Amino acid sequence: MSEHVAPPVLSTRKFSLWYGSHQAVIEVDLDIAERQITAIIGPSGCGKSTLIRAFNRLNDLIPGVRTAGEILFRGEGIYRRGVDPVAVRRHIGMVFQKPNPFPKTVFENVAFGLRINGFQGNLKDRVAQALVQAALWDEVKNDLHRKTGYDLSGGQQQRLCIARALAVEPEVLLMDEPCSALDPIATAKIEDLIRDLARSVTVAIVTHNMQQAARVSDWTAFMLLGELVEFGPTREVFTRPKDSRTEAYITGRFG
Amino acid sequence: MTGRRTVGWAFAALAGAALGVSLVVLIVLIVITALQAGPITAMRAVAEAGISLSLRSMDVPSTRESLSYSTIAQVEAGSPASGLGMARGDALVAVAGVPVDRPSRAWDAVGAAPGGYEVTLPVAWIPRSEITLGALRATSVAGETRVVLTSPSPAAQGGGLRAGDVLLSAAGIPIVGTRQAWEALVVAARTQGTPIELTLERGGELQVIAWDPTARAELRFVRNPLRAWWTFLTTLNEPRYPERAGLFPAFVGSVYVVLVMAAVAFPLGVAGAVYLEEYAPNNALTRVIEVLVANLAGTPSAVVGIIGLEVFARALGAGRSILAGGLTLSILILPMMIVATREALRAVPQTLREAALAVGATRWETVRHHVLPYALPGILTGTILSFSRALGEAAPLLLLGAFLFVTYVPRGLGDSFTVVPLQIFEWATRPQDGFATVAAAAIVILVTLLLVLNALAIVLRNRFQRRWSG
Repeated sequence: MSEHVAPPVLSTRKFSLWYGSHQAVIEVDLDIAERQITAIIGPSGCGKSTLIRAFNRLNDLIPGVRTAGEILFRGEGIYRRGVDPVAVRRHIGMVFQKPNPFPKTVFENVAFGLRINGFQGNLKDRVAQALVQAALWDEVKNDLHRKTGYDLSGGQQQRLCIARALAVEPEVLLMDEPCSALDPIATAKIEDLIRDLARSVTVAIVTHNMQQAARVSDWTAFMLLGELVEFGPTREVFTRPKDSRTEAYITGRFG
Repeated sequence: MTGRRTVGWAFAALAGAALGVSLVVLIVLIVITALQAGPITAMRAVAEAGISLSLRSMDVPSTRESLSYSTIAQVEAGSPASGLGMARGDALVAVAGVPVDRPSRAWDAVGAAPGGYEVTLPVAWIPRSEITLGALRATSVAGETRVVLTSPSPAAQGGGLRAGDVLLSAAGIPIVGTRQAWEALVVAARTQGTPIELTLERGGELQVIAWDPTARAELRFVRNPLRAWWTFLTTLNEPRYPERAGLFPAFVGSVYVVLVMAAVAFPLGVAGAVYLEEYAPNNALTRVIEVLVANLAGTPSAVVGIIGLEVFARALGAGRSILAGGLTLSILILPMMIVATREALRAVPQTLREAALAVGATRWETVRHHVLPYALPGILTGTILSFSRALGEAAPLLLLGAFLFVTYVPRGLGDSFTVVPLQIFEWATRPQDGFATVAAAAIVILVTLLLVLNALAIVLRNRFQRRWSG
């Protein structure tokens, strides 16, 4: 919960992104501090999901995407020529809005990232460790090879996805509205989990649930119409917003 | 309100009509073909008794009439028929009391006889001329041909004929030639039964003697439909006699051609679809390729046959081989494979690809481990449907110059071949009795094969879906 300034792991420098002719992200400057939780909030269509998907170059899949400016990961521009997006994604994992486990066993879901990345150690232990980290181990330890990802409940599926992302030991975990498809109990579990995770990994989370941002995050960025309106320590953004638009949003006047 | 209901009813009626017509057409097709193919059991029973029949006819002298009869074209050595002394050239006159004017009459008589799988039926036949009559000589007296029995056979002597008898007519049918004399006996026996009233001149006087030249015996026929169909499917083709026709060379040819086609079209089709769906940039070249694939899918199959002929058979020197046939068919189904595979790939949720990429998988790893397995049921369904389309194709292979007439089993890629649809085409164009039946039987087998393949597609899809959903 500390609000000291740690060196940024990820930072954007005048980063813009276009879908065809539509500019979805407009010259955003944002620093994401190591082992802290940064929340990106804003109304639907403000570009927050686009921005977070730019952090591990998942937008590359969408035809017609163009970028300008830079995103630096530990000082290296990930959009520079010659940078392999696959290598970027090995360090920057992601959890999606809707749980998307592989249609394979629980074990294989977690082991897949390890296998393709040429993991040399004990696969079983590493999978178990990731499931423990994602607070799922106790619920699935007897069914690792019997149940598929689809057999789990929605909340369990999302924690499985978190375990899958954690297994390859990313430095940053991006979460794109990870609780929006879950019920309140499952949401509470995931939120607790996110707080625990921040001890070992940097987390950037997109949410349109302001209470969630306030509960979970150390830093909050407020975006509107593609622009970064305000960025600061969560407590300050929620208690003393500098921008009137931020205030209007968090007090529920629009969004 | 009523107007809106009426529209609903109209659509219901149209849909019902469309589905009803499809169902009725399918059922009628199957029933008609099965009925057409039905006599194959009796044909096989006659063939297995050792008799192959062929149709002959005799022009009745001084009329425009022509009367048909059936000769025994072949008797299998060691068969029951040969045990009875039947031989090539004899005429089959009656089976189970039914006069046999053409081969199908004999088969139908065997098929219609009451009893179980095995029946023993009386058969009557007239042995060939030299045994029934003996040696004949034709002389011309005052411009009229006179047929003289120079040395009667024992059978003729037993019937009261003597050397020097001049044969004039049999049951009113004039005897005008040495060969025709025997034919007249056969036709008379068939049309008017025995004994035959034979008019002859002996020592300058006309005499009429009643003579029964037929040989009679009981012959055992085994009417086993399973065995008949199995034999039909697994024997080599005897091109002259429909009752000995076999689908085996065509069946093996079809299997080989489809295997070659599968080996070529499946990897190419899947690779092409994966490229277009997963890798291709959204640019002009991609769109051109897509249009070309769509056009190839609409190319008439006969045109594809010409491509096969010019490119594979001639330019690449594959000739009329299985290799050329398989390659030609692979061109035909390649666009179908690509379209079906693309549809299956499109049905893979994007979130699945993102999930794999987000843990650091390359595009290929994503495709290989997640997208293809997920799309596999759809791909397999499309593949099997394409294959069953190719299995029924005749036109491209006809243009390629595949043989219609193959009596051996192809053994390798370089062998010439025929396929089931071509064999059906060949049989269906034959005028002789019985070929329509074997053509229908081959259709039944082909349609069964297609139904089995389509059922397999459904089973595969369901099985995989169960696996995915746990």
